[in-house]
Amino acid sequence: MSTPILATKLYLPPPRPGVVLRSRLIERLSQGSHRRLTLICAPAGFGKTTLISEWLAGCDRPAAWLSLDEGDSDPTRFLAYLVASLRTIAADIGEGVLSMLGSPHPPPTESVLTTLLNEINTIPDNFVLVLDDYHVVDARLVDDALAFLLDHLPPRMHLIIATREDPNLPLSRLRVRGQLSELRAADLRFTPSEAGEFLEGVMGLNLSAEDIAALETRTEGWIAGLQLAAISMQGRKDATSFIESFTGSHHFVLDYLVEEVLGQQSESIQTFLLSTSVLDRLCGPLCDAVLLDPSASGQEMLEYIEHSNLFIVPLDDERRWYRYHHLFAELLRQRLHQSATSVVELHVRASQWYEDNGLDMEAIHHALVAEDFERAASLIELSWRAMDRSLQFAMWLGWVKALPDELVRARPMLSVAYAWALMDVGELEAGESRLRDAERWLETTADTSVPSAEMVVVDEEEFRSLPVTIASAHAYLAQVLGDVSGTVRHARRALDLLPEDDHLGRAIPGALLGLAYWESGDLEAAHRTLADALMGFQMTGNIVAAISGTYGLADMRVDQGRLQEAIRTYERSLRLVMEQGEPALQGTAHLYLGLSGLRLEQGDLEAAKQHMLKSEELGEHATSPDWPYRSCVAKARMAEAQGELDDALDLLDEAERLYRRSPVPDVRPVAALKTRVWVGQGRLTEALGWACERGLSVADDLSYLREFEHIVLARVLMAEYRSEGADRSILEAMGLLARLLQAAEAGGRMGRVIEILVLQALAHHMQGDISAALQPLQRSLTLAEPEGYVRIFVDEGTPMARLLSEAATHGITPDYTGRLLAALEAEAHESEHKSYSPPDQPLAEPLSQRELEVLRLIAQGLSNREISERLFLALDTIKGHNRRIFGKLSVQRRSEAVVKARSLGILPHQN
Amino acid sequence: MSSRLDQPMVYQIRVKGHLGPQWTDWFGGLAITLEDNGETLLTGPVVDQAALHGLLRQVRDLGMPLISAVRVKPP
Repeated sequence: MSTPILATKLYLPPPRPGVVLRSRLIERLSQGSHRRLTLICAPAGFGKTTLISEWLAGCDRPAAWLSLDEGDSDPTRFLAYLVASLRTIAADIGEGVLSMLGSPHPPPTESVLTTLLNEINTIPDNFVLVLDDYHVVDARLVDDALAFLLDHLPPRMHLIIATREDPNLPLSRLRVRGQLSELRAADLRFTPSEAGEFLEGVMGLNLSAEDIAALETRTEGWIAGLQLAAISMQGRKDATSFIESFTGSHHFVLDYLVEEVLGQQSESIQTFLLSTSVLDRLCGPLCDAVLLDPSASGQEMLEYIEHSNLFIVPLDDERRWYRYHHLFAELLRQRLHQSATSVVELHVRASQWYEDNGLDMEAIHHALVAEDFERAASLIELSWRAMDRSLQFAMWLGWVKALPDELVRARPMLSVAYAWALMDVGELEAGESRLRDAERWLETTADTSVPSAEMVVVDEEEFRSLPVTIASAHAYLAQVLGDVSGTVRHARRALDLLPEDDHLGRAIPGALLGLAYWESGDLEAAHRTLADALMGFQMTGNIVAAISGTYGLADMRVDQGRLQEAIRTYERSLRLVMEQGEPALQGTAHLYLGLSGLRLEQGDLEAAKQHMLKSEELGEHATSPDWPYRSCVAKARMAEAQGELDDALDLLDEAERLYRRSPVPDVRPVAALKTRVWVGQGRLTEALGWACERGLSVADDLSYLREFEHIVLARVLMAEYRSEGADRSILEAMGLLARLLQAAEAGGRMGRVIEILVLQALAHHMQGDISAALQPLQRSLTLAEPEGYVRIFVDEGTPMARLLSEAATHGITPDYTGRLLAALEAEAHESEHKSYSPPDQPLAEPLSQRELEVLRLIAQGLSNREISERLFLALDTIKGHNRRIFGKLSVQRRSEAVVKARSLGILPHQN
Repeated sequence: MSSRLDQPMVYQIRVKGHLGPQWTDWFGGLAITLEDNGETLLTGPVVDQAALHGLLRQVRDLGMPLISAVRVKPP
């Protein structure tokens, strides 16, 4: 990921020489470090940061530090920085998380965090992570991420949060569980003796006991106040009179003292302090650029200010970057506001310096603060590519939305980028409207090679590709909305505008065109077009993009009944990945997942499991955005094939939640997959409910996109006939199947043809007409044999076993039929074995086979997550099993469940 | 008077310590009244809840002890 990481945010402030040793607080931090979280919560100026750095210096644990700023309210950026800070103590961790964050649609935060937690677990030592200034983060998503992290905090990790306000975390729960250690304002205030030690020992002032007491009372032990008071007194002979007027005044402590301190500084220092207070970070050259005063050197000024203890904090060891203490900066800014200096001008100069030094984010920030919107718009326009690549849509969108709208509309490039960013975050309508803004400029300009006078374009090279970019964006939009003819029209226009040899440029509209053909059911054209586009990516070195469409190619082959070729498609992409070396590219896990499904279809459960395991092992980092959804569907299929229908449904529910509309056609909707399982369970009411809800009828016009649903509808009708015996149901099913067969054959979708023939055979069988059943069965067997299909027959269970035996006696594909019958027999044996194996359960409601399996793994000491990985089930599914186990055993927790199960003889007693 | 909280309302924020009149700008035009007991009252219309929270955040970031924040009827 190319997010620029500012090292200064990760700088662990070293302990400062000459500070008050606060052993009572250090001791409390040490004790608290055995808990999960230390919360240091107090207003500005209470010495939070100093205290932590003191404690860390004397503690033998390595520490990662992260100073937060407003930008970290963007969860992606927050996580990127979190990883970057952890890398300061464990250089090789977080690779997975970074590549997840680097995908165009990052997976849910929870799965990113799970990956991170697994990687953190590899850190061998106890360590500390400090999040400083957490109050600046104002984002529910970041709070939630942190709460999740705390819930699953690895035992060797301790988290410290320093903040001015209580964070939005489950603090009371942590307190009750003894997982929280707290230091608050009352703890952090200087006690009278600490105040004395500070004023005399550290600041070298010679004060009477009364003076010290008076200062301590006036500041109420507020460290920032005492420090400013001490600086004010350092240059004075008559400390007592200062103390008298200070303590006699009602002025807000800091307001009074900053005035005093500034008053003691030379004019040039005062100007420097006020002018540079607009900067979040300072370095010599930046200060020079902001001040434009050739007589002063920024670097020297900064060193003088540091030397004079004027609330400046170094951000690195080289004394290059500094920042003012936040409180001091706030007071300086208020005074700057009062002065005659043009604050806008200062921000513009800062923006200019940042731009010259390649720091776009800061350049944009200062331009926006200065309300120099023209400048900001240009910078934002130019930053799009980099921000898009590093997936900081949220931050980029925040910038654009801060611009006056007419300014955005006057910029075609900015409008197109805005459109893409909006579409990326799922705001399709808003995206389309921005696209139209950009387009209007093309309509008014005859010559599209040069920007016209009224429009604003900063990147002329990008401008020349504007018509292509717009057409591609339209194609994307149309494809997401399921408007196939729109996709085809726009994608073709983009392709027409591009030269034949612009392989990369043609790849995006080409891929969209391929997806549109796919959706319309023209699988040959779709395959050819998509494969060409992916080759375009490959030729231009975009391997991740090149392999991202593999499952599309393979899925088409599966529908065409070409399993072997689908397998070769995945294997080819895997070879491409191997050639790139380690670590595995994003999307690699999908290749194994795809292979797993194909091996499962061929009846090789072991190989399927191996591939599934391999895809899991690759870690979620080798996945792309739709991974959680695809992985759930694949696991559901595996559970279904193993007869675990409840688990399959749980996984499909999860998949349904995770599904996001994308340009990839949804040719196997999850709801239809669920209905197939319901039919298997005999849940006719639910299955009919689905058909009704989807408005499906046997009289529907047929289309490829709904073909899968119509095949499931035929299954529902057959189940209805089986259960209720109404002739109408079976006749309708047969009629529908005949039409479906014709359509699938016409489209060359032999995979679908095989399934339809199987259903026709079963329908005849249901009506007791075995010899009529044999005809479609024979055809399906002949088509399926060379491709090695197994599940498509075996899934149908006993009726299929009967039909295959009959086929065997008729000498139909004898080897193949024999193999299928053996598989069916093994499966029947397995389920018999399963249903008789449970021990006697003296329970009102006995545990299911799966629940027993989970309980055994609990007894072996596996965590829920480990169990979910072992059984290829979603974590939530395991939790659901746990709840049911606890309910049936009338216990509250895992350990009690094991004890109770042992005492009841459900689990063997421990020796 | 509407009591809906998304309407502009007059708020009175009481902090500890006296602030000079030059702070008026900083606090978005709120009137500054100094009380004899050493407290400062910031009084004025606040557009909505978000603005109120922003104001309280400003007070927090100055490290000013906040004593109270109340909604008052406009005069």
